[in-house]
Formats: sequence, C-alpha cells, structure tokens
Amino acid sequence: MSPIRCCSAALLALVASLTVVACGSSGGDSTAPAKVGAVPVTQSLTGKTGGALTVLASADVDYIDPGAAYYQFTFMVTSATQRSLYSFGPDDAIDPVPDLATKAAEVSADGKTVTVEIKPNIKFSPPVNRVVTSADVKYAIERGFLPTVANGYAGAYFGDITGVKAFEDSQAKDISGIETPNDTTIIFNLDRGSGGVVAGALALPLSAPVPQEYAAKFDAKNPSTYGVNQVATGPYMVANDSKGALTGYEPGKKIDLVRNPNWDRATDFRKAYLDTVNIEEGNDDTTVASRQILQGTAQINGDFGPPPPVLKQIVAKTPDQLALTPSGGIRYVSLNTSMKPFDNLNVRKAVLAAFDREAMRATRGGPLLGPIANHFLPPEIGGFEEAGGLTGTGVDFLKYPEGNMALAKDYMKKGGFPSGMYTGGEDLLMVGTSGGAAQKSAELAAAQFEKLGFKPKLRLVTVDSMYTKFCNTPKANVIICPNVGWLKDFSDPQTLLDPTFNGKNIVPVNNSNWPLLNDAGVNAAMDKAELVVGTSARNKAWADIDRQITALAPAVPWIWDDSPNIRSKDVAGVINKFNGNWDLSFTSLK
Amino acid sequence: MIRYILRRLLWVVFLLFAVSLITFIIFYLLPSADPAALRAGRQPSPSLVETIRQQLGLDQPWYVQYGRYMKNLIFHFDFGFSYQNGVPVRQLIFSRLPASISLAAGAAVLWLVVGISVGIIAAIRPRTKLDRASMGLALVGISAPVYWLGLVALYLFSADIGLFPILPGANSYVPLSEDPFAWFTSLIMPWFVLAISFAAFYSRLLRGNLTEVLSEDYIRTARAKGLSERRVVFRHGLRSAITPIVTIFGLDLGILLGGAILTETVFNIPGIGRLSYSSIVRSDLPVIQGTVLLGAFFIVFANLIVDIVYAYLDPRVRYE
Repeated sequence: MSPIRCCSAALLALVASLTVVACGSSGGDSTAPAKVGAVPVTQSLTGKTGGALTVLASADVDYIDPGAAYYQFTFMVTSATQRSLYSFGPDDAIDPVPDLATKAAEVSADGKTVTVEIKPNIKFSPPVNRVVTSADVKYAIERGFLPTVANGYAGAYFGDITGVKAFEDSQAKDISGIETPNDTTIIFNLDRGSGGVVAGALALPLSAPVPQEYAAKFDAKNPSTYGVNQVATGPYMVANDSKGALTGYEPGKKIDLVRNPNWDRATDFRKAYLDTVNIEEGNDDTTVASRQILQGTAQINGDFGPPPPVLKQIVAKTPDQLALTPSGGIRYVSLNTSMKPFDNLNVRKAVLAAFDREAMRATRGGPLLGPIANHFLPPEIGGFEEAGGLTGTGVDFLKYPEGNMALAKDYMKKGGFPSGMYTGGEDLLMVGTSGGAAQKSAELAAAQFEKLGFKPKLRLVTVDSMYTKFCNTPKANVIICPNVGWLKDFSDPQTLLDPTFNGKNIVPVNNSNWPLLNDAGVNAAMDKAELVVGTSARNKAWADIDRQITALAPAVPWIWDDSPNIRSKDVAGVINKFNGNWDLSFTSLK
Repeated sequence: MIRYILRRLLWVVFLLFAVSLITFIIFYLLPSADPAALRAGRQPSPSLVETIRQQLGLDQPWYVQYGRYMKNLIFHFDFGFSYQNGVPVRQLIFSRLPASISLAAGAAVLWLVVGISVGIIAAIRPRTKLDRASMGLALVGISAPVYWLGLVALYLFSADIGLFPILPGANSYVPLSEDPFAWFTSLIMPWFVLAISFAAFYSRLLRGNLTEVLSEDYIRTARAKGLSERRVVFRHGLRSAITPIVTIFGLDLGILLGGAILTETVFNIPGIGRLSYSSIVRSDLPVIQGTVLLGAFFIVFANLIVDIVYAYLDPRVRYE
C-alpha cells in the first residue's frame, strides 16, 4: 500500500467515526419503561429564591402579544407574565384555579350568563402602574376580535357573547354583552347557553387584562404593536424601557423576563423563585441544544423535545433530568370521508384494523413518548375515562396496535372488495410534512395503506403549506393527511372534538375537520353537548360523542403524546401539567 | 472607468427590480402556505381570514401588491411588516446584518489567507509530499458538508459539549459592540468551519492556475533575467494566476453576506441566513422579499467591486 492510500484510508476511517459521533443513530423504538421520567402526581413546589434561568428554544413564540398568542410555548411565557381570570397550577391539568378572579365563575342555570368577580388589588407593571379593573378584562377580550389583533380562538369560544357581531362589523364601539357594573365585576351575556365553555375559556390568556388607555394607540396600528409594548400583571414581565417599549424581546433571538415590581405575592398562587428568565431562541439543532441543557450550559428546554437518539441516552444515563407529561394532544391520520374510497365506512374500518400504530409510534421515539391512542379524547382531559380510557371504546378495528390484516381484509370484503384488497387503482393524494419525525411518520403511513392495495401518492411539503394549502383546504381534495393532530385549548373535551369532527365546522379556509366528517348524529349530539352545564355532565356527554366518532373511523388515532422535557442538574424543575412544559413561576435553581 | 461604474450602478438597480419581481411571481406561482390563514390561527371564522387577507393587502392582484411594495420601498425604504410577528422587516434585517457580516468577513479573511498560502506552496513544490498532502486535504475540505463539519467541530471543541472543550460553542455569539473579546472567541469555530471548504477550493484553483502560469515563457524570461524566485512568483506569476480567484471571491463573499444559512443554524448565530430560511418555511413574503433583495444587492455590488479590482490587477482589461 502506498503512503497516499494508507493516509487516505486512515483519513476515511476518521471521517467515518466522526460521522457516527455527529449524526448519532436513527430513531427507533425505545424499550425503556414507560414510567421513566413520569412527572409525579404531586411535585415539590418549594424552591430557592433567586438566580437566572436560561431556556433554549428552537423558534420564536407565535405572537408576543398575549391577546394573539395561541401556542403552547407562548403560553409558557404568558402564564408567567399575565394573570388571566383563571389559570392552571402545576399539578392540575383539568381544573383551573382563580387567578385574577376571586372564585369560580358563576354560570347561570340556562348557561346564558357567566359572572366573575376579580381581585381588587392587582396592578399593571410599569409604565401603567395602576390597579386592574373589570373594564381592562372587557377590553382584553374585545381586542381579540379586532382585525389588527385577530385572536385565533376568540370567535370559537367567545363568539356567543351578545354584541360580538356588531363589534366585529364596526357597528358598535364595544361588545355590549360584556358588562362591568363595577370595577371588580364582569358579566358575560350570551346569545346561546354555552356558558360552560365560556367559563372554561376564561383560562386562556385572552382574558388577561389590558389597559385600554395605554393599548388603544398600539391596537390602532396594523398589525397591532401592543405586543412589543405590553404590560404585565404576573410575577414577571418582558424587560422594557420607561415608555413601555420592550427591550427584552428580539424576534427569533431572545425573550428576557424580569421581575414585575408591582406584583404582589400575597395575591397569587405562583411562587416566582427566579429573578430572571432568559429565553434564547434559534436553536434549530435540537441535538446540540439538548446536550447543552444536559451538560448545564443552559437549564431547560422551551419549545422542543430532545430528539429520539438523545432521549434514549437520557433514559439510559440520566433519567432524573427528564420529565414526561401528557400533552393533552393526539395525533392521527385523517381519511377524507367525503371522497372515494373513504366515503365507505367498512373501507375506513379496514384501514384502521390494518394500521401498525406501534410502528407509527416508533417514528416519534416509541412507548416513552406516549400510549397508543384508541379514541379521540386524550388522557388528562375530561371525558377520557368515560370514553374507555387507555383501553378504548371497544371497537374491534382498534383492538390491535400492530394491525390485524385478517380483520382488515374482512372489512374490505364487507366494503365491496371480495379479494380483501383495494382494487380501485387510482392514486390517492396524501400530503405530509417534510423533514424530521413527521416525514418518517408520513412515509410509514403510506406503507400502511399500500398493505391493503391502496396507492397513496405522497407529497411532502413544509408544515405550514401542508396545513394552509392542502389539508386545511377542502377543495384541495386531499384524501389522506398523515401528520395531523389536535391539542386541547383547555381541559373541556369540546375543545378536542368540536373543531375537528363537527360538520358545521367544515370551512373553506383553515378547516380543522380534516376527515370532513359530517355525520348528522354526531353533529346533533355536539349541538346538544355544547349547551350542557356542569363538568361531569359535560364530560359524559362528550365521552359519548367520542365513542360515536370512533365508531365512524374517520381517522387513525395513533398516539396520545407525552411531552418530554429536560433540565440541567442544577434546576429544580416543576412541570405545568396543563401546558406540558416547565412552569417558570414554580421552577427554581438548586 | 467612471462611466463604466455609473453604467454598472444603473444595472444594479435594474437587476434588483428584476429579482424582486421574480421573487414575487414565484411566491404566487409555487405552492406555499397562506399567510392570512397562518395569521388567523387555528379556528378562525372564514370572515376573520378574509378580514386579515384584506388587512395584509393579500386580496389585491399580485401586481397591485407588488406596486405597493415597491413604492414603499423606494420612497420610504419600508420593507413592510413580517406576516409572522408584525415586526418591521427592516428592523428584522438590520438587526441581524452585523452577525452575518461578522461571520462572512472573518471567514473570508481566513480562507483567503489559508487558501492562497496553501495554493502558492503547492504550486511551487509540485508533486512533492507537501503538495499531495495539501491537495488531498483540500479535497476532503471541499467534500465535507458544512453542516456536518460544524457539528463535528462542536462535538470536538465546544466548551460545553466538546471532547476537548477549548472554544465557546453554539449559542455563544454576542455582538461586537457588546463584548469584542466574546464576539471574537464565539466566531472562531464558525469562521473555521465556513472557511474550510472555500480555502480548499481556492488552494486547488490557485495551485492549478499558478502551476500553469509558472510554465509560461515570460516567467522563464524573468528567471533568465536573474530575478529572485520570490519576485518571479509573487510579482509576475501570482498576479496573473490570482485573477480568477478575485472573480469567485466576489461572488462567494456576496453570497455569504446574504446569509450563511447552515453555519448560522449550527452555531445559532442570529444572521440573515437563518431569517431567510424561517421566512421561507413560514411563507412570510415581506421577509422573503427583504432577504432576497439584500442578498441580490450584495452579490451584484460585490461583482462590481471585483470588476473594478480586476481592471487594476490586469492592465490589459479596459472598460469603455
């Protein structure tokens, strides 16, 4: 061997070994016990006061404006800076506690009135500095309907308030159905008896007060610039200057939270141990970011979970740095029930029977990342147990997580395909997300359809294109959407089933009823259930609807996600079980 | 020469118009996300989506939108607002420009020094072990993907996760104005990572050119006249051999000033490259337009500078 070949060979060996170091192993099924990393039912909420926490995030919040925010990661920030009427403490993902409010909302028997009393001594942060009144809550909700703010859930949950339409059409200066008879009382008058849902939605950041005399000038701009001039009521605020302009927010780069000098600990259930929180964004390589957290360069993760290879290492070596909590979400593969071949119920059942959902779960990291989904309400949501819990509703086509081809073929025969295989021959448009675990899931899903003789034509695009141009647009005629799913807005089961399976919610743009399910029985049941008052009655009503939907097989549910969160060893991390990530108001340094 | 420069500057303006128009058309012709639907959130009513569409001016024909955009740009230097977060695009771009310039300029200095040095040494010592080793390493440098090199560098040398923790790792970038020393040390690894492939390419290119030039008759004449080898190589040989290097350097630097996406991503440097990528993924047209225009500006301007330098390097080149 000549010296050159020798050196080249050594060089190639070095390159190969470094490739293994750099690239890691591909994602595969984890066999680690499912309980590793599980957050205890009751966490220790005591901690050491002081210190600065560094949070790593891959991307920015969706909107820094709490009135527009509609994203789990953003809620991590808003729950520390804003006091909505109700909020979720760390250990209860189902029932919120009064935050700005003094006690639970009073919903009238007919569900058409919701009354809330607020605390009299909560103050805005500088530069506003005054006491919060009920009028500030009224304005906060009203501004959600302004086109310059355009809150994504205002219409869905507060659209029944009397006078909303006139306000939206600029025929009224305010929403007449929101009354503030005094500084500490707010009354919501509704056109329909949907008070149960409205009361639940008051746990969302839209109900956090906004001072109109300060914010109106920002809201008049298009888009509103209140977000970069916001004030706070929570224990923390985004750092700002004396005029209120945020100095602690650089889009895509960082968010710096400092203590709100006007926050009164005695009025709040939050502990707020930390002095500052520094969120560093732009960490696109989540493997590097995860390692930085585990090594202690940064303290906790924000909007990403550790990728499967890193998760395996954490489980094996440092499981105490991992926290897993149900996200309150579900992933599924939707089937277009309005078009052939999935307008046929038995064909849909065949697909669900054949689907290897264990393999699908492995694309995300295996059993550690959550249980196999058997219906459409996830754990920690009202109605989950009533609908069958982990074992499911009892339908046979979801009984086999690894798929059952014999059962699938039986259903295909019932569906009019005597051979047990699909013989249609046409390509079925399937649009998934390119890159990462989502692409793996989409490709595996395509293979599942091919097992039954279907010919999925898989098209991979960016996640935003997948939603806004294809799967969310009914006229795009996408037959299969493999990368869809839903996450609760708050713990009412309506928030999971109504937007996604109610026929009246099929809209031409931003449609979330991906299967285009329009079943008269389901629609009627939902119309009735929307008006049910009382938590246990609502849970039962929506659990029955979950069973109905599952029986119609409009989609293949395959995982109820657990959110993996990691921390460095010097952090006493507290998970907010509602939001599925670290609770900045309770986390502290050791 | 002055007339030539003025003509080229007019050409720059025309080119930027063309680039902005093509970008606009591509955005509408190719499938991308719907910005109004993205802005509207998860469960918007159709009327809300339409209202947002009107607010953003997306209900207008594309040529009306383009006209309005160019009018704001030319008369107010206004690049519009990000559909994603409502922040002025100008603010987004200019807040990130120093990071991209820091990365590109530092890497450029490094790859020029290393590439030219190695190229000269290899050319004046042809077919020796030094020549073969350096060209072999150059081949590896050209072949290795930047992203992979970056990750390897982090896993080997970064202070937090590296095997040999000697340099600041990802997330350590600070602006020059904040802390010059931290700025410098945070960019050492990114500079090397970004410079490696360019240095490798330049060294191979220069070696080839210089080897050829050094076999020319006039070089033989220069040696015959008794000039020192150093003078022959640097004053006569290099001057001819380096002109292609100048040309591609202009292009390369121009491209990098518009954002070195992969290096910025690996090291989490908040530059234009990362902004471009995230805006494309989110179909944030105003930001896409802004970053594309900026990138185009740097490329055409860098080419203009290169052409001017070319005229000084090679006296045979004259511009009418």
